[in-house]
Amino acid sequence: MSVEWMASILQGAVQIGTIYLFASLGEIYAERSGILNLGIEGMMIMGAAISFLFTLAYGHLAAILAALVIGMVLGLILGVMAVSLRLNQVVVGLALTIFGTGMSGFLTHPTIRGGVLRTLNPHIPESLLMIQEAPKLPEMPIPILSNIPIIGRAFFSHNILVYISYILSVFMWFILFKTRIGLSIRSVGENPGMADAMGVNVFLIRYLTSMLCGGFASLAGAYLFIGFHPFWQEGMTAGRGFIALALVILATWSPLRAIFGAYLFGGVEAIQYRLQVKGFGAQIPQFVLMLPHIVTIITLTLLSFESVRKRLGVPAALGVPYSREEA
Amino acid sequence: MTYSRIASILTTVIAIGLAFAAVAGILTAMRLDTYRAFGVILAVFITPRLLLQAILRGLPIVLATLGLAIAFRMNFWNIGAEGQIYWGMIAATGVVLAHVYYGYLPDLLVLPTMLIASFIAGGVWCLIPAILKAKLNVNEILTTLMMNYIAAYFVDYLIYGPWRDPHGYGFPLSIPFPKYAKLTFVAENPSYTGLILSIILAAMVYIIFRFTKLGFELRVIGENLDAARYAGITIPRVLMLGSFLSGGLAGLGGLSIVSGIIGRLRPRASPGYGYTAIIVAWLAALNPWLIIPAGIFFGGLLVAGESLQATLKIPNAAVQILQGIIFLFIILGEFLKRYKISFGGGRGVR
Amino acid sequence: MSSHEYLVEMRGIVKRFPGVLANDHVNFGLKRGEVHALLGENGAGKTTLMNILYGLYRADEGEIYIRGKRVKIRSPKDAIKLGIGMVHQNFRLIPTHTVVENIVLGLKEVGFVLNHKKLEQEIRELASSYGWSIDPSAKVWQLSAGEKQQVELLKALYRRAEILILDEPTSVLTPQETKALFNAIRRMAEEGKGVIFITHKLDEVMQVSDRVTVMRKGRVVVTKNTSDTNPAELANYMVGRPVIFTLQRKPMLPGKEVLRLKDVYAMSDKGVLALKGINLRIRKNEILGIAGVAGNGQIELAEVITGLRKVIKGKILINDVDATNKSPREIMELGVAYIPPENLRWGLVANLRVVDNLFLKAYRYPPYSNRVMINWRKIYDMADELIKKFEIVTPSKFTRTRALSGGNLQRLVLARELSGIIGGGVPDLIVAAYPTKGLDVAATEFVRKTLLRYREMGSGILLISEDLEEILMLSDRIGVIFDGRIVGEFKAEEADIERIGLLMAGAKVEAA
Repeated sequence: MSVEWMASILQGAVQIGTIYLFASLGEIYAERSGILNLGIEGMMIMGAAISFLFTLAYGHLAAILAALVIGMVLGLILGVMAVSLRLNQVVVGLALTIFGTGMSGFLTHPTIRGGVLRTLNPHIPESLLMIQEAPKLPEMPIPILSNIPIIGRAFFSHNILVYISYILSVFMWFILFKTRIGLSIRSVGENPGMADAMGVNVFLIRYLTSMLCGGFASLAGAYLFIGFHPFWQEGMTAGRGFIALALVILATWSPLRAIFGAYLFGGVEAIQYRLQVKGFGAQIPQFVLMLPHIVTIITLTLLSFESVRKRLGVPAALGVPYSREEA
Repeated sequence: MTYSRIASILTTVIAIGLAFAAVAGILTAMRLDTYRAFGVILAVFITPRLLLQAILRGLPIVLATLGLAIAFRMNFWNIGAEGQIYWGMIAATGVVLAHVYYGYLPDLLVLPTMLIASFIAGGVWCLIPAILKAKLNVNEILTTLMMNYIAAYFVDYLIYGPWRDPHGYGFPLSIPFPKYAKLTFVAENPSYTGLILSIILAAMVYIIFRFTKLGFELRVIGENLDAARYAGITIPRVLMLGSFLSGGLAGLGGLSIVSGIIGRLRPRASPGYGYTAIIVAWLAALNPWLIIPAGIFFGGLLVAGESLQATLKIPNAAVQILQGIIFLFIILGEFLKRYKISFGGGRGVR
Repeated sequence: MSSHEYLVEMRGIVKRFPGVLANDHVNFGLKRGEVHALLGENGAGKTTLMNILYGLYRADEGEIYIRGKRVKIRSPKDAIKLGIGMVHQNFRLIPTHTVVENIVLGLKEVGFVLNHKKLEQEIRELASSYGWSIDPSAKVWQLSAGEKQQVELLKALYRRAEILILDEPTSVLTPQETKALFNAIRRMAEEGKGVIFITHKLDEVMQVSDRVTVMRKGRVVVTKNTSDTNPAELANYMVGRPVIFTLQRKPMLPGKEVLRLKDVYAMSDKGVLALKGINLRIRKNEILGIAGVAGNGQIELAEVITGLRKVIKGKILINDVDATNKSPREIMELGVAYIPPENLRWGLVANLRVVDNLFLKAYRYPPYSNRVMINWRKIYDMADELIKKFEIVTPSKFTRTRALSGGNLQRLVLARELSGIIGGGVPDLIVAAYPTKGLDVAATEFVRKTLLRYREMGSGILLISEDLEEILMLSDRIGVIFDGRIVGEFKAEEADIERIGLLMAGAKVEAA
């Protein structure tokens, strides 16, 4: 196991981990305010599909913006149904995932894609209509820092979205724990009745976090495509959205811990790819791949013990619709 | 038939109608042949040959949904039907392999053994999160979801590893099931077998709900946990028994996939049946007799999707969109029902 | 800028709930710098009145004036804006957050970024000005009940509340914490704030208040300066004179013992002791009435007997069989019937049919079911009988239970518990908790008559009620519960209303 190999793994960990990081950051905010978003998988793949189409039609920036918008729209739907209509979040989320998966496969299908692309950009060159891939986000190694052995390659030789994810994680941690609005968000997820009585607008906060979660999930999908693997395949998110749900639990709903978790999951995936290439077949990694899920179950179990729950628990009002009861 | 019952069914029908209209809108916007597309979809339910296919493809959905009906009735959110289906597949394949390589059983007993094995495997897989819920109150939505991935990876491991067909040219497939291990062994057309199996199990679930102590206890626990304790019901026991049955039925769904549809085991053999089942359960309001047509309906959509892709070059995914929109509208319809019931009075038969 | 003498004036407040007049033209005033005790039993209307002041309820009639100006208080947010703060009996705090985070939630003035150091300093100073030494950076789950209450108070004080309402604050406090609380309250009064103190404990009223208003059955009985009155007088006001009995209670010779509690201790849901060494016994053909203000351990008493709550020390004997910590089913099978409070919450499943609820407990026993299957035919037949016998008014036995009126719901419960469909015959022990609460006159009469009938048929009955008249009417013996202990026991003939009232309010009285 050479240094070269290690550096490569670390770089892969960050590369892949960024997908999970974006997704889990949004989900953390949603769950902290009490919204369980099972639509995350559908939002992610929609982001990937939209970024594919928009990159071909316009370019990377348009792709990222479009993905954000579509994600926020889907998040808004979740918000309306879960918050105002107080419908069951699990069922709504799953429906959104099925819808998103279907929509993404539909729009990118060879027979439909052409029409969509032409609608977006009537001047699009004929050659782009049938290809399965799009230009990747360029790598932007940071001068000096990227020359540090191992670390440089691992952290400072990536594309811009990865760097944005670094800043974003810290920023979102700060907002959640050190600002007034972060306190309001957390309180809404713990005791919405109390927050409401103290003047916090529970409904607005949940709407905003739903949209944020959708936007970030979609961004994760966009990154997956243009930043990591710009070859379109139907269903290319491969359940990563749901895995992000596990990640959020493992990270006990903290953005900083989510960074570690995301890179851990990313690292496991990176190792799996490398092993496959080396011809080990896909066997050995299965149990490794299972590990995050098993650990998540164990974490959930531990979190259920009174003593632990007091310190680190699940947001108390997670998944429970809030209604202001007439006393 | 009371007022609220009629209104309820009407709302569901309208929801489905609106969903179809929405998808028609999307197809038309893409300048696709909407008219013919709906013709294809309709054909599935009118043409006997295709209808039988729909029944077969819907079989795993029906079985898993019956299982979910039990779990949801007691408010146990079993999101893990997918994993339980996988374990059903694993157990069934395991029996086949054991028989082919070691010959423990007479050929005729293989299918029944597979039936029992897949039921138990699925049941146990659901029991684990249930025990965590019963003893430690661990949220079952998240645990059952995680269990799905563990199950799927385990199937991957088996198929890429010890259970890979040595004569399969390296493809990740198990050996093809011998004749007596497939549903076709029972009747020429597996759809008939599937239909009969569905009816028998739906009847059993119906009997459980209506006539057994367990069914009554499931309902009470699902409605009011405090009253259940007060009534002397041993909640953990019911929780575990109910989950076992729930997972077991899903396991049978897995059996129907490997024995009825594919004829062998491979990774990702279930295209999300377990998740579809959740919403079908909702759609059918946990009523076993509505579950059968609902499951066949969504099985039919699957068949229609493939047909659309083959004949009209419309992506299979269009059907998934239809599915998703149907679900969303039905859920919205639920809101209206709730609204109406609180207005129109809650009188009426259960 | 007028500085009115009265911070709060409530005039002519009327509040109706279905079936009950909670506030009947109530007049109440709170002066600047005073501690005003609001005294009365539960159901007297004091909590309702304060909930109106705090915006949790809307009054049907009447006006509220704050500092001389007429106001409309539509929600707690309005109340907070007017400088009113309320501390409820169950704390509304977030355990995983720190003290500071709980206090500043929702406040715009703290700025976008929370300066934890500064806020902690401010809170620490504010707390110490009332004699509290709480650690602002501590997580709330780490705090004691008294400290949690301090956080609740600080929530209001930090928002510059001038009017503070405390609802039964000492129910979760130790004596030392109570003392600290009273010191803090005096301090607040000295600062010119007004404190309203809801209680049913007389010694507290005498200790800390300047004026006291006594309410009974929705009306204000009297408002006096504390210095002009004494506990006995207050107890009298609280409890009033008994009405003429309208039901005949046949004198009966009590039979053998059906229930005995020996030194029973149990915890409440809030983590403090609810029962502190209860001793009592009930015999066949006798009704033991437990008098007391709600919240002194009555519910927990009913629950330990019926198996719904754990006993941490002591023994419970039912028919001489050790029933301590047995399951609800086992206790049921020992011949105990339980009529729970708030039947729609605890005792009935609203969405099920009437017949389902009638057999909620009995469904599992023969002849209504065998090992697996339920025999609905038999159940339906029996249900018709029960509906007739207990005069339950319902469109059919298949009607959804939630459609029934309160009185009929209670008849349903009685039918289920008392009709002997489990094990036949008459229950050995009936535990009835607030059985007539919220019922109309006819239903109340029915329930009382039924209890007396079963007493004659041989049951021993534990009757928990807030209605002292009801207790006096029905009981052979009366026990008074206060703060988790039985502080007095009387035979019906010897019942002295005044002494009972005093005991209910926690006053120390010499033994008879």
